[in-house]
Amino acid sequence: MRKYSISDSELISLYKNGNEEAFADLVNRHRNKIFTTVYMIVKDQYLAEDLLQETYIKVVNTIKSGRYNEEGKFLPWVTRIAHNLAIDHFRKAKRYPTIVMEDGSNVFNSLEFSEDSIESQKIKEDTHALLRDLIKELPDTQKEVLMMRHYMEMSFQEIAEATGVSINTALGRMRYALINLKKKMIKLNIAYDKNLYPK
Amino acid sequence: MIKTFTQNELIRYIYQETTKEENTEIETALIFDDSLSNDLSELKQTVLALDDVEKSPSKFCIEKILDYSKTYEEHAVN
Repeated sequence: MRKYSISDSELISLYKNGNEEAFADLVNRHRNKIFTTVYMIVKDQYLAEDLLQETYIKVVNTIKSGRYNEEGKFLPWVTRIAHNLAIDHFRKAKRYPTIVMEDGSNVFNSLEFSEDSIESQKIKEDTHALLRDLIKELPDTQKEVLMMRHYMEMSFQEIAEATGVSINTALGRMRYALINLKKKMIKLNIAYDKNLYPK
Repeated sequence: MIKTFTQNELIRYIYQETTKEENTEIETALIFDDSLSNDLSELKQTVLALDDVEKSPSKFCIEKILDYSKTYEEHAVN
């Protein structure tokens, strides 16, 4: 878990006063978590990027027009917008997520892993894609808690309130999600090793 | 006496939702309880894997978002 010296709400306050750098910090701080949530639904890099842009158009419009509710946390709010847009996309297209080939082309990833060989990059990306599929296969209640806690950074208390269960139930679902994920990883022989797959 | 902890408490610990007092108790228990230590290591490993499956949007995508914000007044006027 990362701790930042300046909070999201402080960055939003600066942004409201016209500080575009603060907005850039906010976007960059959460870009992977929000993007991953969308990507898990649509499984297409380009479509996910379009939806991320649509999400932020809503975010900018809301904040700059003074309609942002300070009481809520920024990341869960944005992730909820992104999630709803992704679901809406499939409703409008009258189709549902199916297995789509991963395009894998990503400027940032290419730069980040530029020292790896093409083969090791491919192995790494395949492993990560497999893990994403394993998360999608989890029972809905477990996947919901996992996404809310890990990618939306909601506390277990907030998740309990949002889903109408006790904090122990939310924790139990997270525990089962992690245990199930681990079992699936072992079953598929996903040798998750930081030394083999450094960030 | 060393307190015993459940996996639920370990998950709260991993996600930094435990209090300072709980942290001290858990860290003491981890020294003496191999099974607890193994549980923590397994849970942490899976949580770390969740970080690594994160995807990144392209630099171009982020630039478009930032540009939209900078030119918001133009969009709002039109």
